Order: sequence, then C-alpha cells, then structure tokens
Amino acid sequence: MVAADIPSSVPVTVLTGYLGAGKTTLLNRILTHEHGKKVAVIVNEFGEVGIDNQLVIDADEEIFEMNNGCICCTVRGDLIRIIGNLMKRRNKFDHLVIETTGLADPAPVIQTFFMDEDVRSQASLDAVVTVVDAKHIHQHWDADEAIEQLAFADVILLNKTDLVTPTELDELEQRIRSMNAMAKIYRTQDAQVEMDSILGVGAFDLSRALEIDPNFLGEDAHEHDETVGSVAIAEPSAMNFDKLNAWLSELLRTQGTDIFRMKGILNIAGEDQRFVFQGVHMLMDGRADRPWKPNETRKNELVFIGRNLDEARLKEGFRACLA
Amino acid sequence: MKTKAQLEFQQTWRGSLSDYVTAIAWSPNSHFLAACSAAGELVLISLSGFQSTLLQSETGYSVDCLAFSHDGQFLAIGGQDGQVKIWSLQSGVPELITTLENKSVWVDCLCWNPTKHEIAFSLGKYVQVWDADTQDVVATLNFEASTVLDLDWRRDGKYLALAGYQGARIWNANDWDAEEEALDVPSATVAIAWSPDNQFIAEGNLDSTLSVMEWGNPAPWLMQGFPGKVRQLAWSEVPTNIGVAMLASCSGSAVVVWERDRDERIGWASRILGNHQGVVQAITFQPNSLLLASAAEDGWVALWHRGSRLIQSLTGASNGFSCLTWHPQGHQLAAGGLDGELLVWSEASRGRGFGGR
Repeated sequence: MVAADIPSSVPVTVLTGYLGAGKTTLLNRILTHEHGKKVAVIVNEFGEVGIDNQLVIDADEEIFEMNNGCICCTVRGDLIRIIGNLMKRRNKFDHLVIETTGLADPAPVIQTFFMDEDVRSQASLDAVVTVVDAKHIHQHWDADEAIEQLAFADVILLNKTDLVTPTELDELEQRIRSMNAMAKIYRTQDAQVEMDSILGVGAFDLSRALEIDPNFLGEDAHEHDETVGSVAIAEPSAMNFDKLNAWLSELLRTQGTDIFRMKGILNIAGEDQRFVFQGVHMLMDGRADRPWKPNETRKNELVFIGRNLDEARLKEGFRACLA
Repeated sequence: MKTKAQLEFQQTWRGSLSDYVTAIAWSPNSHFLAACSAAGELVLISLSGFQSTLLQSETGYSVDCLAFSHDGQFLAIGGQDGQVKIWSLQSGVPELITTLENKSVWVDCLCWNPTKHEIAFSLGKYVQVWDADTQDVVATLNFEASTVLDLDWRRDGKYLALAGYQGARIWNANDWDAEEEALDVPSATVAIAWSPDNQFIAEGNLDSTLSVMEWGNPAPWLMQGFPGKVRQLAWSEVPTNIGVAMLASCSGSAVVVWERDRDERIGWASRILGNHQGVVQAITFQPNSLLLASAAEDGWVALWHRGSRLIQSLTGASNGFSCLTWHPQGHQLAAGGLDGELLVWSEASRGRGFGGR
C-alpha cells in the first residue's frame, strides 16, 4: 500500500487578549494583509470582522478534560471538531486564526496542537499573539487569565500606547518581561505592527533559534514581585543526556502544572548535534537538531515560564546534570 | 470455504465530485446512490444506468452528512451552511420539500428513525427531531456538555443516543421529556452505534478507548490499547455463531474487530487487522454476511472475510478513501475519495457470495 503525499500543514495564529485590547483591530489587519489568501477565522467573541470571502466560524470554547482532569490532557473540543472539518477541502486554507475570549486560558488551545492526532498532522501552531491594553491592563493584574495570556505568548503587543506616558510604558514592559523572557514585545497604536512580526514567526518550530531577551539573561537579580515569572538558564558546558532526561521528567511530573511553557537548546556530551525541546505544562516535544557549526560556541540555553518557579533550585537541578 | 476467497469485486462505475466526498449512502430500497462533498455538492445516482442528477451544485459550504429514510422515500443532508434539506423521492423524481435554516451553526450529523419518517440532526449542543410527514418539530434535546459529535437511533426507533463530551446520553423516543440515561466516559465520545439486535451500544472515545454497554447492565466493558481516537464503529447485521453481532472499530491505521466470547472471563475477543498504512476513515459490514469492508487514506479499500482475513484490495482513489456504503443486498459496494472520486464495485458472479457466515 502506497503512503499518501505528506499533506501541507496550515499555519495557525492564536490571538489572545482582553475584550477591548484591540484583538479585532489586529484580526482585521491580518485579514487585510492576507488579501487574496484563504483565511479561516475561529472567533469566540463575535466582533466586527469585516472582510468578505473569508470564512468566519463562530464557536463556543469547549474544554474537554480527559484523564481525570489532568491539566496537560485538557484540550479544546471545538477546535478538534472544526479543524477536522475544515481540512477536508482540497484547497484548504492558507492560514487559520483562532481568536480566544479575554477569559480564556491559552493552554488548552496550545495543547490541542500537541495532543490531537488529526490537528497535529494537518495544522501547525505559528505563534500565540497577545494584545495588551497598555492603559487598562492594570485593572486585570489580579486575574489569572490576564497573567496566563502574557506568560503563554510568543508575541505581545503593548497596544494603545498613546494613552499612557513613556514612563508608564517602560514600567509595564519591564513587568511583562519579568514574567515572559521569551516573547517579542512591540509597542503599538491601533494594533499597527509589521505583519512579519506576527505572521510566519515559527515560534513552535523547534529548529528556529531560541531567543531570550539578552537584558534578561544579563541581569543577575530579578525583582520577582509576581508569582508568574521566567527563569532562564545559560550554561556552556556539555550535559549528560540521561541525567538531564531524568531531571526534566521528574520536574514536569512534579511541577508541570505550574510550568506554562519551556524551551531550550542543549549541548549534549558526545553529540555533534544540538538538541532542541519545548513544552507546555507536562507535554514535551524534543529532538536532535542540526549539527553545531564549526565556529559556533556550544552552549545550553533554556527558558522556563511558570508560576512560583524556584530559580535557585531549577539552576541547581540543571547543573547537577553536567557531564 | 477458502476456495471462494478469490477476487470477487470488480469496478463497474466511476464518477466524481469536485472535492472530498464527505458522505455516501445507498437508499434502502436500492433505487439510488447519493453522495455529497466538501464543496457543497449533492449527487443522486439512479442505479438503472447510473444516471446522475446534481441535486445541489457547489456552494462553498461543505455538506457533511447525508441519509436516506428507512424506506428510501426521503433523502436529507446537513452541513456548514446550517441548513437541513429534505428531498422526497416518492414520485421517483426528487423533489425538495423542506429547507430548515439554522443560524451560525454547522449540522455535523443526522440520522433517520429506523421505523418512521422522523429525522434527528445536530445543531451545536442541541439535537432537533423533525417529522418529515407532518413537517413539524417533534423534540429539541439539549446535550449541554458539548457540541453533539455523533448520534444513533436504536433499530426499533425507541431510543436516540447522542455522543459528545463525557460520553453518551440516551433519550426515550416515546417520552422525550423523561430523564435521559447517561453513559459516562472520562473523555469524549466521538462515535456511537447500537447493535442491530438492540442489545448493545458501543462508544468510540477520544482517549483511545472503546466502551461497550449491554442494555440493562450497568457495568460496561472498556477496551484499551488503541493507537489513537476510536473514530468509527460498525456492527455486523448477522450474528456470529454464538448469536451476537461482530463489532468493528477503527483507530489510526488499525481496524480492530471484536467478537463476543462464550467465556465471560474473556468477554470480547479482539483481533487487529493491520494492513492499512493510512488513517482508516470508514468501516462497514456487508448487510448479509460477516464480510467487512474498510476504506483508508492510503488509497485502499480492503475486504476482510469474516472480519479477519484480507481477501481483496480495491483501489481507485490515489490520495485516499473517505467513505463507504454497501448496496442493501450486499452485491455492490460504493466508496468516495479525498479528491472527489466516486466508485462502485460489483460482485463478479452473483450468487456465489462469501459463504454467508
């Protein structure tokens, strides 16, 4: 029996942020930019999506908890159903945008792309883009959803910058940076941003370079006034793969609920190839990547984003895995 | 018996739609074959001379489900446009008699009552039961837990089972207001099927399990070890020699066949039919035997003697098959493909059969 052609995978952008932050404005910018391409939009809050010829699907978020409510086995049933249906068409879609409500936890959306066999084979996550209302975000710091949407993001738009002072904006950016050391942060008005900054980002593409804010890496002491934060580890020495594997497994088993996302490049002793990995809660995906280049400095770089992370313990645990 | 297991089916007709064939069905009175596509087409093929009538041309909205009423008098479709359309076939010339409009919801599944002209169709979290004779809503059922992912009537038309998040719920068709019965699973049920003798109900689940419940027995069997979600189920019309129908299930590229064992400690014995190399999209037993047909995205339709031995492989959709249906007398098999292919195979010499059971 002949194996069928490998189906081309449709890129998916996940748009999060509070109601009124500017999600719909950004969505309409994406649709205008993608003019001529087939874009399917799954919306959970029916805003004014005003572009013809694009398929807009209004869906309720349906959270499916499986395996006795294990956090990493929680997926979005509506996305499995809708994406499975959409992908039957021959000329499918060039791009899928999923807009979540301001009250949504982004984890089940991302986990659907790791867990569901059909979604995984037909679509690939490009990036989680979070739009923040720079003026009103302060009203939402107590809400878990607001924090989680920042912590899970690959790209953050600090929108409505015209409504705050530059000092306020600097403070806000610093605060967000301490939570998420991995995301690209852009300051915008009316969600005006270069489309290349939010489309084709490849944030879930393991072979793309891990980008940690150099300022974050350089600082020795972070002021952690948030329960949600990032821990970055940079270490040049080669690692023992078995020890590292055991440590990561144990870490995810015991702290997976509190680890939102992680990403890393590893320098494994005796290997000429880089090892790359990423994870969402307890789900992890890793593999050997390209060989280290001759003039490249071999190193380990990891980022953990989560709640109540113990930086000293994480670093100590990691260093115990040195070869 | 083995000498009969030779190449028996030959392609006798080929047609096409413009995109993925989402569903295909033979009318129970065997006059028509109907198929619909992801481009929104619906074609009705008259079996005298394979004349095709396009009842609906391309709309851009996928037609996702299609079914004939038990006596072949009505044909219904549903899909992304939220409409349920019903044609009457009573005069021999198809006549569109009903269009039910529903806003911003997809009609993902529909199923006729096996005893009368009532059709149940999904509307998101709700299911509506519609009487095609009186043109009236019979009942509106609220599944609540999620969008309804599948539904099936019991063969006697007395119960309707809806599947979705946290399992299935079963309504009594004689008393729609009565408290429904819940068959709980710890994930979501994506496929549900009653056995032809009304004795069992099987649930294919998202967490790679299959549950089988005997009607009236509160303890279901739970079958595990599937490679992925259990996406389709099929019961045989004829029973095995211990008097219980055979159950076929598919998951990933595997077809798993279950047979009730005399030994209670075994319960259900299974075997894996592992020849497919792509996702199996459809499975169905020949109406008068235990011959099982499976269609997969690897571009093969496989025929399994007594649900176990591969006796023939059929091709014709190079990018894969999506759906299957047997002629009510079992001497013809039709399939639809991912690129819009429609194929009919016929038994080369009628009457020899596959030796029944």
